[in-house]
Amino acid sequence: MGKTEGCKGLTKKYLPLVLTPKEFKFLFFSKVFVSSVLSVLSVANKGFRMQKYITEQNLNTLLDKLIAEGKRVVAPRMNAGTPLYEPLKNSGEIIIDQLPRRSGKEAFFPLCEDIMSYTKEGQKVELKDIDPSRFPETVLVGVRPCDAAAIPVLDAVFSWDYKDEFFLERRKKTTIVGLACTKADDACFCTAVGLSPSDTKGSDLFLTPLEGGGYACETFSDKGETLINSHAGLFSEPNNAKTVALAEPGTEAFDLQKVKAWLDEHFEDPAWDSIATRCVGCGACAFVCPACHCFDIVDEGTEKSGKRRKNWDACGFWKFTHHASGHNPRDQQPKRYRNRIMHKFKYYDDKFGQTLCTGCGRCIRLCPVGIDIAAIVEEISKK
Amino acid sequence: MTQTIDTTIYAAVSEAIQAEAKRILTAGEVTAVVGYAAARRKGSAQPIVITSAVDAQKLIFTPACVNNLAVYLTKAKKEIPKSGRIGIVVKGCDLKALVGLMGESQLKREQLYLIGVPCAGVLASTIQPDTGLTSDSIAPKCLECDAHLPQGCDFVPTQTPVSPELEKKYAAEIARLEALTPQERWAYWKEQFSKCIKCYACRQVCPFCFCEQCLCDRNKPQMVDTTPRPAGNTAWHIVRAMHLAGRCAGCAECERVCPMDIPLNLLNRKMAKELKELYDYEAGFQVNDKGPLNSYTEKDDQSFIK
Repeated sequence: MGKTEGCKGLTKKYLPLVLTPKEFKFLFFSKVFVSSVLSVLSVANKGFRMQKYITEQNLNTLLDKLIAEGKRVVAPRMNAGTPLYEPLKNSGEIIIDQLPRRSGKEAFFPLCEDIMSYTKEGQKVELKDIDPSRFPETVLVGVRPCDAAAIPVLDAVFSWDYKDEFFLERRKKTTIVGLACTKADDACFCTAVGLSPSDTKGSDLFLTPLEGGGYACETFSDKGETLINSHAGLFSEPNNAKTVALAEPGTEAFDLQKVKAWLDEHFEDPAWDSIATRCVGCGACAFVCPACHCFDIVDEGTEKSGKRRKNWDACGFWKFTHHASGHNPRDQQPKRYRNRIMHKFKYYDDKFGQTLCTGCGRCIRLCPVGIDIAAIVEEISKK
Repeated sequence: MTQTIDTTIYAAVSEAIQAEAKRILTAGEVTAVVGYAAARRKGSAQPIVITSAVDAQKLIFTPACVNNLAVYLTKAKKEIPKSGRIGIVVKGCDLKALVGLMGESQLKREQLYLIGVPCAGVLASTIQPDTGLTSDSIAPKCLECDAHLPQGCDFVPTQTPVSPELEKKYAAEIARLEALTPQERWAYWKEQFSKCIKCYACRQVCPFCFCEQCLCDRNKPQMVDTTPRPAGNTAWHIVRAMHLAGRCAGCAECERVCPMDIPLNLLNRKMAKELKELYDYEAGFQVNDKGPLNSYTEKDDQSFIK
């Protein structure tokens, strides 16, 4: 496989013959989607455009008004005891003191979505597309900087040679309201990958909690300004209150250039075994990651009717690279884990000039066997 | 009321594990030892496989040593060399899984060198690893532990764990669910399964999920929908619970690792309770060739035939 290993999208590009049966099925049956490049994606985060202040009460009023207007308001809320970014029924559901268990990526890239349906009656086959123009206008609120910063990273891959209209249409219709972080644990490492608890990357509007209550608001795009201007009465001029103490993740900055330089030369290295022999091959790390974006496409239903669905996939799975022939180029777990590190800190950088990790620490907290990506990258940077 | 659980013996237990691992590796009695080592985060631990006596000093036992290491000895983990005799650090709950695997002809006793851990309990999932062990932070399985001192090991440190009587959460929760109407119970599980993201962490850590290709990973035919939607999620968790009935001895790894907090061990404990009531059978105590669900005796309950 050599240096062409990457995520499914990349593998397809370079190795058109290496397809799982499902991928083959997808390519064989799929329509060619045509979608224009969406200029709205190029959010320029070079300094704020507008500064305002909003009280906590008015923020809740804003959310309720947006919901009443028919917008989908997605924010951290509890679902059967687990904090998740999900559509709110009302502003009372929002929880702002806990990092949701999964990232905000699912506002654009859901866990599972229908992309087509089919019916077959005798010789007559009917295909029906999903109409992305029906996706609702969305406001994604209370997004942590590590989650918001991953969104421009995802834009790169979903609008590259193939324009993923499902992702891009949702992205176009979503306004992102970021929220500065006031709490960190020792799994957090945004500062190690060049971000911070107050990083505004990816946010259209950014909220910073102030001493004495309320939030400082800064806009970074037309979408952010539109949100404020359309409910101007709820915002006031900035006051001079001090920002509350923000989180201070303890991990030192990684030398990402040095890490990449080592990865460039060490596709084969005994270190992969000592790093990843313990990996049990589940998809937890990829599924909670704000930047992982691999997906599978399957048809579900009967011979007569069914749906084609796009759902999250993970390079940790044995099945991920299982070929129709029965051969598996990543036959052991360390090779699969190597792909995770390579993709995040080398391949994505090679392709898009960005790191595919924002230091949210979810994979560290949730790895069943305690694999710590921050410790691994730190170890590599010292090699 | 929060009760503190005394884990002061763990330091001496760690030293004893290190000394024994060093001895058996030096003497060539084993080719490798599977144990726990400290990791970067404060108080954290992770599984480690060591093959050299100098690495024995890395081995620890703390409340963060949550994993059931038996999973590394199954054929599902091809990465661990299976040649020669292998040493493994086991808590009482983990040992039950090894006993089950021996019964299912997956492991031979003489291929193992069992280093048993006197254990007062380990931490629950999603708890910061440096948290002290209390009745609040302890893993729910430890509340009903009957194996603080593993039996039949090759080596067990001499310390005795102090284990206060604690409120049993699974028993209470099963009783609560049994008292619901079928509709209410269905609503409860529907809500829980709706959170499933099909990461298969529950399967990957389970010592008994050693199939080389899981039924759910096969697609000719596709028995279980793979997408994380109600049909596939429900089917997956029911398939899982049924395949573990009479085999699962309650290490509760599935529940611990679930990133969506689905109380999976409740299903397993309910099945275990049924097996106990119907066949007076408990998994994990004896090496049995056949469990009650793949053998027949005339005494078996026939009441389901109507």
